[in-house]
Amino acid sequence: MTRVVRALGTHTLGLLELLGAMALLQLRITRALFPPRYDARETWRAFYKVGVKSYPIVIMTALFTGAIMVIQSGHFVAKSGATSFVGWAAGFAVLAEIGPILIGLMFSGRVGANNTAELGTMVVTEQVDALRALAIEPIHYLAVPRFLAMIVMLFLLTALGDLFALIGGAITADLMVDIPMKVFLRQVFDAQLLDEYLLGLLKGSFFGMAIAVVSCHYGLTVRGGATGVGRAVNAAVVAAAIAIFVADFFVGVVWTVLSK
Amino acid sequence: MSVSIRDAGQEQLIVATGLYKSFGGEPILLDVGVEVFRGRILGIIGPGGVGKSLLMKMLAGLVEPDAGDVTVLGQSLQSLNASGLARVRDRMGFLFQNYALFDFMDVGQNIAFPLEQMGVPKAEITRRVAERLAEVELPGIERLFPNELAGGLKKRVALARATIAGAPILLYDDPTAGLDPVTSSKIFELIRRLHRPDGATVIVGHDIDRMVAVCDEWLLLHEGAVLFRGTTEEGRASSHEVLKTFFMETGMLGAAA
Repeated sequence: MTRVVRALGTHTLGLLELLGAMALLQLRITRALFPPRYDARETWRAFYKVGVKSYPIVIMTALFTGAIMVIQSGHFVAKSGATSFVGWAAGFAVLAEIGPILIGLMFSGRVGANNTAELGTMVVTEQVDALRALAIEPIHYLAVPRFLAMIVMLFLLTALGDLFALIGGAITADLMVDIPMKVFLRQVFDAQLLDEYLLGLLKGSFFGMAIAVVSCHYGLTVRGGATGVGRAVNAAVVAAAIAIFVADFFVGVVWTVLSK
Repeated sequence: MSVSIRDAGQEQLIVATGLYKSFGGEPILLDVGVEVFRGRILGIIGPGGVGKSLLMKMLAGLVEPDAGDVTVLGQSLQSLNASGLARVRDRMGFLFQNYALFDFMDVGQNIAFPLEQMGVPKAEITRRVAERLAEVELPGIERLFPNELAGGLKKRVALARATIAGAPILLYDDPTAGLDPVTSSKIFELIRRLHRPDGATVIVGHDIDRMVAVCDEWLLLHEGAVLFRGTTEEGRASSHEVLKTFFMETGMLGAAA
């Protein structure tokens, strides 16, 4: 019994320590945002790596997300005869929930993991120490550009992903549920899903923030060489996925309360 | 233990006192003191794993000691905030044992980086980078990336980056580790040339035969403590058993003969 309580206590303390460290990193990044003193080259590099290199995977994810939503809702509404709801159901699910979450998870797997690996490698090869030795604060130079890039680019990628999810849904509706593309898109627009669309974009930004803080934290605290980098990447991907769902819950709750 | 061989009037650019550091309960440095005087080149030597690189990082404020204090240019590093620490580091150059070149930048960008951060005009940066590359005998390799260079070339590029800002205090962590004798000699020649009479240089190394030609003073770390501090002549004259063994094996005593 004592062992169980001790183990529980140790894990709880470990979790609180982790959350505290991430909150502290978030605070340091926020402080470093003002006044703006970003390294232009590093910021541009972060935006390019995070955004431009991610759009193919986001488009692919979004196309299939839209298609899956139509297939799932299509069979149900076909049985009930309510085919006019296919566009609404698919649009609602994609724009508010499934689209941002799946795009966020894909983004985390590609960008977040890459970020942790890159920062972790910089730590173990003393490049982060070299920055400090050159009187450059790593939070300013490394974390802030990545933080900004992930928030802005995941917002934009979610917007792009939403568009391709609807295209994927429209194509699938035409080919597999016998609803012409034009009709499907008309249903989506008639459903007046602007609120859901904005909620999805907001979620995208919060997911970007969560992925940035988690991946920077694990990257900058790597210990133990190449093995340590591997462990950090693994931990960062798991933690970022959890953070995405937690952020999704809280943004959804706050949005619902404020919308009343 | 801190051993001083200088007169009280001589200016100290770096003073470290009572440095203690342990990892996982295992003490590495025990009450270590270091003094680096203006115009001098200090060589820190000792067996592998004794904490020489750790001590060097403490002198640059990159590692915080568990106990003790490091004062650089009259400012205690432990009492400074991030911007204060950055101001002190502006006056230091640090060569890392494993180069620590930024792998996402090419050679030119790596060397130019400290100058860019200082806001030096682009044309002057280009000129100074080309000059410094010529000095380390690597002209025209600005566009190559670190992963395209051999170890000796990386070391010279790292040396160029550490010294391009003209900082008065230069810290070199094992500048010739893994290099061939010819390249090692060139590196030490360069270190001597880049040393400023109004500044100070600290070298951690094992290549004592070559360090003898460059260093004015020595600090021998042994089992986490300072075993000896003094000039080359004092080192050769010392009757301390560990010191004699260490210097004999590295050829320093032979050089005296």
